[in-house]
Amino acid sequence: MTRTSAPGVRVKDLTVVYKTPAGELPALGGVSLSLAPGTITGIVGESGSGKSTLALSLLNAVQPPGRIKEGVVDIDGLGNVVELTGEELRRARGRQVGYVFQAAQNSLNPLKTVGKQLLDLGRSHDFDDLPALLKDARALLGRMGLDGGRVLDSYQHELSGGMRQRVGIMFALVLNAHLVVLDEPTTALDMITQAAILKIVRDVHHERGLTTLIITHDMGVAAEVTDSLAVMYGGRVVEHGPTTEVLGSPRHPYTKGLIRAIPRLSGDIDEARALPGRPPTLGTIPKQGCVFRERCPMRIAVCDTVDPEPVTRDARTVACHAVGRPATPVVPKEYV
Amino acid sequence: MKTVVRRLSGHLARGLAMIWVVTTLSFVIIRNIPGDPVRGQYEKLIEQGMSPDQAERSTAALYGFLPTGSLWDQYTDYLNGLLHGDLGQSLSTPGTGVATLIGSAAKWTILPVLGGTLLSFLLGVTLGVYAAIKRSGKLGDALAISGSLLHGIPQYVIGLLVVAVFSTLWPILPAGGPVDIEFTPGFNGPYIASLIQHATLPVLTYALASYGGWILAMKSSVATVLGDDFIMAAELRGMSRGILFRYIARNAILPLFTILALSLGLLFGGAIFIESIFNYPGLGLLLVNSIGARDYALMGGTFLVLTVAIVVANIAADLLYAVIDPRVRKGAEA
Repeated sequence: MTRTSAPGVRVKDLTVVYKTPAGELPALGGVSLSLAPGTITGIVGESGSGKSTLALSLLNAVQPPGRIKEGVVDIDGLGNVVELTGEELRRARGRQVGYVFQAAQNSLNPLKTVGKQLLDLGRSHDFDDLPALLKDARALLGRMGLDGGRVLDSYQHELSGGMRQRVGIMFALVLNAHLVVLDEPTTALDMITQAAILKIVRDVHHERGLTTLIITHDMGVAAEVTDSLAVMYGGRVVEHGPTTEVLGSPRHPYTKGLIRAIPRLSGDIDEARALPGRPPTLGTIPKQGCVFRERCPMRIAVCDTVDPEPVTRDARTVACHAVGRPATPVVPKEYV
Repeated sequence: MKTVVRRLSGHLARGLAMIWVVTTLSFVIIRNIPGDPVRGQYEKLIEQGMSPDQAERSTAALYGFLPTGSLWDQYTDYLNGLLHGDLGQSLSTPGTGVATLIGSAAKWTILPVLGGTLLSFLLGVTLGVYAAIKRSGKLGDALAISGSLLHGIPQYVIGLLVVAVFSTLWPILPAGGPVDIEFTPGFNGPYIASLIQHATLPVLTYALASYGGWILAMKSSVATVLGDDFIMAAELRGMSRGILFRYIARNAILPLFTILALSLGLLFGGAIFIESIFNYPGLGLLLVNSIGARDYALMGGTFLVLTVAIVVANIAADLLYAVIDPRVRKGAEA
């Protein structure tokens, strides 16, 4: 059962809807995204853009009132996760796909020590050799700069935020999962701890040969650790490509706006331009046309009626009518 | 171990102080209730021609304390008695010690109320988990409604309904008294069977009346825990259903333990309505009767027993909490 090589992930036309009094509203509107085996992919976007929903979909764990309406999440060694149910799904979680929660969240049972919860995890996945599991966990924690023995004997409230986050990473890796999803792993951590966690993520990724997905709203985090970067807006992936290229020469107007909005450490704060307008919420996502058009400086007539299809060219995928038309250079000068 | 002792001694000191305050307050309040049977007896004896000295001695002999004397003297006399483990003599049942009366009433209260409390707790907590998990379904709705309904109906109405159904309409169980008198008390079959028969309806009433509170409390507690991040985390780590259920149940039941300990303390106050309806000679009935008769000593005694029970229950709850919740345990050591 245990995989030794990094799995690839292919998400195709994934639509996730949330049931609301106003009917079923799409949180993800037909997302397609591939994670190449052995790479670190980042997903950036504003709050409510569907990042976490996409991450949860990889474990078929979209929480009610949401549900996966259609689409495929194909993971090597697991098949289409969307079709997994019951015990099969439960066993895939943790064993083949590790999930790391936000740092500020409390992902541990407050009434049990870390070690006891680790044993619970082992028993849940029918591990016969529990001492070996504890040994692995201690080694992993030691690898991340913690005193493994002490941490396993601790309760959650005895650990700091950074320590808890490392414990979370340990839980995601200890069953030897080779696909790891990290949902805002460094949010609510101080800069030093954040840097330490990111280094750990990167190092462990390479040592163990993982396929890693990192959800973040921090462009700095994305730039630092990811190989490829997907930008989400209004439940769609609007741009996806190698991180250096996406950040160095963004094509989609939203990506450009997002990068321009980052204040530089050296330089005038006024140089950072906030993107005008607000991101759409579930209820305000346009039913037709491009979801970004209300805030878009490159808006053209077709944007009002047709949702742009993602177009792939030289390893870059962009969903924009204006970018897809090489004949008419509509990119305003200020964005170049 | 040292921390436990330190914790316990702190609790005991505070508990004793609390008991003293309540005892003093109830002493003052009781003595200020209009109507004074001792004084009445004393004056009656004088009217019958006794000298004041004789009347005082006679009354003191009868009731066991001074009919005259300042409130302060009576108070110190009372406290002194308490310190020697003497709750005093009952006024309404002359010649009987308060402790004896309370002791014999307590056995009729503790068993049915304890049975009722534990039954309703187990039932309410178990069904509360289902009510929370199935809260968007029909079963959850039905359970929640049953809880609200029973929680809203006063105890004595439930008692009367139970009597009407099981003793009048469908007479299968006795409605009055704690036991049939024709059996010899003791550890023999017929006597115990009769005891159980008579206790069934009071226990049922008590269980029905408190079940609603438990199911509602457990439901909201479980609903809160279900929304906690660590439950979802455990789910996404692929924890098995059994382990997940234990995580939920253990976290959700924590706040209910305090309520349970307190209601076990309140048990010593008796259940007045239920005891009246079923003519059960328990503590509640004893307290009501003692107030009616202005039986100072008995009133003071029942209040004291209730106070001590609640203080002890509180301490027990706190110590228990420290055992089951590591956060409280470590907090005490820090």
